[in-house]
Amino acid sequence: MNASIAPGTTARRNRRWLVLSLAPVAAFFLVLSGFPVLNLLGLSVFNVEWSEGAASFSYVGLENYRRLFLQETIYWAGVRNTLVFAVGVVTCQMVLGFSMALAVNRAGTAGRTILTGIFLLPIVIPPIVIGTMWRLIMGREFGLANTVLRALGLNEVDWLGNPDIALASVMFVDIWHWTPFVFLLMLAGLESLDEEVLDAARMDVTGFWQEVRHIILPLMLPTIVITVLFRIILSFKVFDEVYLLTSGGPGTATEVINFSIYRTFFRQDQVGYGSAMSVVTLFAIAFMIIVARGLLARSKRAKDTE
Amino acid sequence: MEKTSCGFGAILVALAGALPANAKDQPDITMAINQSPWLNSFVAMVDRYETETGNVVNLDVTPFGGLLEKIRNSVRGAEGTYDLVNVNALWLSEIYSGGFLAPLGEIRAGYALQDGILTYGATTNWDPAVGSFSADGALMGVPVNGNVQVLYYNQTVYDDLGLSVPATWEELYSNARAIADATDMYGFVPRAARDSIVYNITPYIFGHDAAFFRVTGPGQAAIGLNTAEGLAALNAYLRMSGKDVAPPNPGAIAQGELIQLLSTGRAAQAIAVIAAWGALENPSESRVVGQMSAALIPAGPGGTHASSAGHWVAGIPRNVPADRQAAALAFLDWFQSQDVQVKYVEAGGVPVRGDLAATGLGANPAYRFLEAYSANAENAVMGLPFAAAAEASDAMALHFNRAVIGEESPETALNAAAEALAGVLERNGFAVIRQPDL
Repeated sequence: MNASIAPGTTARRNRRWLVLSLAPVAAFFLVLSGFPVLNLLGLSVFNVEWSEGAASFSYVGLENYRRLFLQETIYWAGVRNTLVFAVGVVTCQMVLGFSMALAVNRAGTAGRTILTGIFLLPIVIPPIVIGTMWRLIMGREFGLANTVLRALGLNEVDWLGNPDIALASVMFVDIWHWTPFVFLLMLAGLESLDEEVLDAARMDVTGFWQEVRHIILPLMLPTIVITVLFRIILSFKVFDEVYLLTSGGPGTATEVINFSIYRTFFRQDQVGYGSAMSVVTLFAIAFMIIVARGLLARSKRAKDTE
Repeated sequence: MEKTSCGFGAILVALAGALPANAKDQPDITMAINQSPWLNSFVAMVDRYETETGNVVNLDVTPFGGLLEKIRNSVRGAEGTYDLVNVNALWLSEIYSGGFLAPLGEIRAGYALQDGILTYGATTNWDPAVGSFSADGALMGVPVNGNVQVLYYNQTVYDDLGLSVPATWEELYSNARAIADATDMYGFVPRAARDSIVYNITPYIFGHDAAFFRVTGPGQAAIGLNTAEGLAALNAYLRMSGKDVAPPNPGAIAQGELIQLLSTGRAAQAIAVIAAWGALENPSESRVVGQMSAALIPAGPGGTHASSAGHWVAGIPRNVPADRQAAALAFLDWFQSQDVQVKYVEAGGVPVRGDLAATGLGANPAYRFLEAYSANAENAVMGLPFAAAAEASDAMALHFNRAVIGEESPETALNAAAEALAGVLERNGFAVIRQPDL
């Protein structure tokens, strides 16, 4: 019977099966991701006002975008800070997380359990507690950090109030908070490396640093890339730490994109303008990810050809 | 048997005490309210109302940051969740102008506020024709917490240094200098963080006879910020934020830090909301219990006093059934009486009447803030009386804050704030008269 089915029919059936099996996922994606983005795009060309208890939508074309690109101050300060924040925290978290994972990977059973427990602690603390805790620690007048500095005879530091260092303070808290996430992924990556391959490769290197540089890092590259992408996306979404520690100030020293959008959307109720900000942010991040992935793919292809 | 009968009698008496004095005559209502330090005093009044009348008021308590969204979601729906919404001064114009609230005169014909109730610059009334607050407009709500600003000062420090209550900004600065020079305290604390600076600077602006803007007619506004008076006001503010009297980096000081500095005795003077009084007088939170006093905020060169209105007004949404609207108004009407307001103060609340200093409370040292509160409440102003107040506040706040942290000169900050404000006004349909740059 099977022999009587033409090859074209099988291909058609396969295609149909492919379409049918993917349809629920595609519909799910459309409803949960596509529709909100389309809605955001639509809202961004309107101004929404309320009078007599009803909303009135007035079409403004690209006016919200013109205003965003030509008149806005705070959002663009937020873009600059978010870029600095993302690059700074992700770099530190990757270095620290990888180092911690290496240390745990090489520790004995007891040491591994203790170190993992300690390293993972910050990630299980709720963000609101983290904000409150670090606000208390970094407070200029009564904070623990300055109490320690004063006890050591050093000058106190206005961690959150000095515009020159406020962003660095928020970044420090984010690094403290999210390094365990990187550590966890790195540890999983390290533990999945093939011991036989490692043993064979170790014959060609002398010392720990050569092993890390020439064997472990190349083998870990896929995990590292995925982790970096994860962390960059998450660090562009930073909100809670800024909201709780500095509210974006002093000046625009700690303003970040999400805080600008939150303020515009919710506090000021500028739905159209907030949508324009969201659309620009969404597409900028998507573009950056596509470019990054393209560059990585090109570099991989170049290496494969070598 | 005797014992049983006594016990049974005692239970009956206890039950009688717990039962309402009157039969319930209104449907249950629900109110959206903020979780603020004065909440417990309001809860005590709700309990009292329920005991007296048998009517039920359910409170949906929400942190400040989330309340506005809850109110918006409720009043914008076809049928509202809340029969009463507690609206902060900054949100009033948005909620009034959106047409979400039923004028109280529509719920009960001819309804007016009771005599003695403060309106904080006519903020209980809205005139849709002008698009602003106006005593001639419809009555939209009843104040439930009169959180205006007052001048706090440490009386013990004043007595030690022989200082007197300042009547002008100059005298306030002199006192601050004297305190900073003679003690290890800060002479003054400004609340200059970006999110609160517009609220905090308002008494300086209006006290110097400047304004953010003035409504000059229907749909017309004149910027009043980048003027000689505005510059004098900002300079006065910057002087009170200077290193010689204030803590370093005041551009990051929000209300929490301000109250902390006062209550720990690290600072001796500040302009802050009257709701902070409870924290300053609470022995478990404060080291200066019994030492603080409140006064009228100093006047500018023209003798004008001003205080920022930061009060709360309870309004009744249009999108709830008429019987629940009537029940909500019954509660608000009960809440306004002098007797209830006295109990409200005794429970730690901030009253909404200006005549309580004349009651027995005025002579009680525990309520020594009342006279200053009433005087400041009479001078309360709404600096941004139009629908986009929050947007305008954020637009100007950046430049005031930058002036405090030294990123912009006072002139640059005022010009930039004025231009940002003009843009917001124009986007909201006003024809704006600008001032030439300073």
